[in-house]
Amino acid sequence: MRPTRLFAAVCAAIALFAAAPARADLRVVTTLPDLAALTKAVGGKHVQVQALALSSQDPHFVDAKPNLALALNRADLLIAVGLDLEIGWLPTLQVGARNSKILVGAPGYLVASQFAKLLEVPTAQVDRGQGDVHPGGNPHFLYDPRQALAVARGITDRLAQLDPKNAEAYRANLATFTTDLEKAREGWEQRLTALRGQPVIAYHRTTAYLSDWLGFETIAFLEPKPGIPPNPSHVAGVLAQGRQRKARMVLMESYYPDTTARLVASKIPAPLVTLHGGTDFKAGETYIQHINEMVERLEKGLAGKGS
Amino acid sequence: MATRSRRVHGALIAVSLSPWLFAGSARAQEPAAPPADAPVQLPEAAPPALTPEELKEIEDALGSDASASQQQAPSGTATPPPSTPGGSNRLSLPGTGNGAGSNLLDLSFILDVAAAAFTDKQPLQSGAHDPTRNGFNLQQLELSIGSVVDPYFRFDGNLVFGQFGVEIEEAYGTTLALPYNLQVRAGQFLTRFGRINATHPHSWDFVDQPFAVGRIFGAEANRGLGAEVSWLAPLPWYVEVIGSSTDATGEATARSFLGATSERVQSPLDLQLTGVVKQFFPLSEDLSLMWGLSTATGPNPTGYRNRTDVFGTDVYLRYRPITRAHDTTLITFQAEAFYRRRQVPGNVLTDFNTYAQAAWRFSPRWATALRYELGTAARGEGGERVLDPLDPEWTESRNRVSVNVSFWPTEFSRLRLQAGRDRAGWRDEAGYSLMLALELVTGAHGAHAF
Repeated sequence: MRPTRLFAAVCAAIALFAAAPARADLRVVTTLPDLAALTKAVGGKHVQVQALALSSQDPHFVDAKPNLALALNRADLLIAVGLDLEIGWLPTLQVGARNSKILVGAPGYLVASQFAKLLEVPTAQVDRGQGDVHPGGNPHFLYDPRQALAVARGITDRLAQLDPKNAEAYRANLATFTTDLEKAREGWEQRLTALRGQPVIAYHRTTAYLSDWLGFETIAFLEPKPGIPPNPSHVAGVLAQGRQRKARMVLMESYYPDTTARLVASKIPAPLVTLHGGTDFKAGETYIQHINEMVERLEKGLAGKGS
Repeated sequence: MATRSRRVHGALIAVSLSPWLFAGSARAQEPAAPPADAPVQLPEAAPPALTPEELKEIEDALGSDASASQQQAPSGTATPPPSTPGGSNRLSLPGTGNGAGSNLLDLSFILDVAAAAFTDKQPLQSGAHDPTRNGFNLQQLELSIGSVVDPYFRFDGNLVFGQFGVEIEEAYGTTLALPYNLQVRAGQFLTRFGRINATHPHSWDFVDQPFAVGRIFGAEANRGLGAEVSWLAPLPWYVEVIGSSTDATGEATARSFLGATSERVQSPLDLQLTGVVKQFFPLSEDLSLMWGLSTATGPNPTGYRNRTDVFGTDVYLRYRPITRAHDTTLITFQAEAFYRRRQVPGNVLTDFNTYAQAAWRFSPRWATALRYELGTAARGEGGERVLDPLDPEWTESRNRVSVNVSFWPTEFSRLRLQAGRDRAGWRDEAGYSLMLALELVTGAHGAHAF
């Protein structure tokens, strides 16, 4: 092959690759898969959505892999949880992405926590001696479908602002999603009425919104302080509390190590209920399916069966 | 031999200029990219296209606005613009702000101290932040500052306080809004040659710096005042092309180049030019590979138009099973190789340096790591051993093996116990070392690159 032809071939290949990604009207990248699922629910066929983290992954500690910067490079909208949840990995990706559309303050950057009714906002001064306390409030609000709905509304407004041509479609999708989610929520609440007021032990402070919604009481956390792994004396205290209060279950996310939780659960005794940290968006799961799956696990937990 | 190497320099210059060339081609392709039916971003109620007269009106209006604002502007450029009410002095510190959006400046201190013991009277530690003597060592106190300056720039700085003074390790601006996937850094910065060069002790797997970096670039690693352009290629996988031009002087930062001498810069070839290509391959969700190719060229002070070239490659393999429940394992493998050739009067010296390391986090707070390093003696054109003008004692190969265990109480503190065996062929016996290092990070510290 002559050098000029080779050059032409290379240029053609680059142009082809550059043009290759399917052209949806808006390319949205979200940090967490729950946000991706909500965006897909209201965006429908007009948006192409990608989540940076997996549902099986601890959202506090995501690797800033360069291919994630590549996704951000091509994004029209970046949606993050905020409240410093992604502070350890997102900023470096945002700068590395060379896309001014998605930088802080731009219309292409949306912080979902502004739409949620936040819990555990510290009222006194916090420092790191208290562990990983999020100074803006607890960021794990997507376990509560009521908060998720508020976030979906916020996402819809932003999609409509960025893509006014499809604004009506987005609002129609939101209406459908609202009806579906509210209907499902009624069912879930009925199924879990027995959980109301029940004592529960959790691993990390991820249960604030879940307990606010379902009415159970988190009596203790296996982590002595947020982000600090369990130690023997603390675990002994939690176990004693769990026995005394007759804890109904131990809740933890699948991304935490489970040896201690298993031990505590078996000693109380109470079932260990493993929660998926988020919607398995990659496998096509929807937000409603994810919460439904979680409700099933809690239901089983109430019946004394772990998962 | 000068003529022979000149061709190589041509190639190097081409490599380091390639980002600009590529940028040109990207620009040329840009208008072709959106197919006719695709851009549906415009609202249906979009106003019809502006007439040339209207555009002219806008331009005129903007022009008069600009001149009006200049009348209000301060007469000199030395004074900052007047602060907006409530907009100044809001340097939010961690723990004091109540969250969203008030962080204007990230400030953090990183303290690295170590207790060390060496069997050698004069240990061969070559890094400026390495423990070097028996007893207690202050490796560094680093103040790192990061902030967005305005919509167009961000600022990053690393000031390092040692026992005998302060140095500006890095202070540079990064562009935020350049088109065509370009990004420019300007100021004083660590060049992105290889993998470890651009990083700070805080993100290392070992207490000390690989001796290859200290031998080739200097104790502080390769850095200088200069400018860097990087380009993210519009390809399906991550390809970043980086070219930088930096000051070639500095005993601790560019010792294979001009080093401690201070020669007048007469042409761009009197600066250090660096070209790097980095590629990333997500082999699976759990396994990823980063691969880099680097080259640096610059003058050296041994004679008229004598040059030094360094070629390097680096790999970083990371296994973290994020798809497996309850698994916090992390295994990394990292290796770099450096080939250096230097023109000296009557000869061309070449040598080879490398290190390879593996780290295994076997529990959320514990990790262990092993590293092997090798550096060969300099050889002349005919393969004969020659006296290395920079390291005259380095007449044989040197290898070093280090092993350590680290414990992180939280992500803000770290304890590390490291043992090493340093076998330098020119010394009678191997030297052994033991170090216990403590690191504390306080304040708001920026996120790290992969």
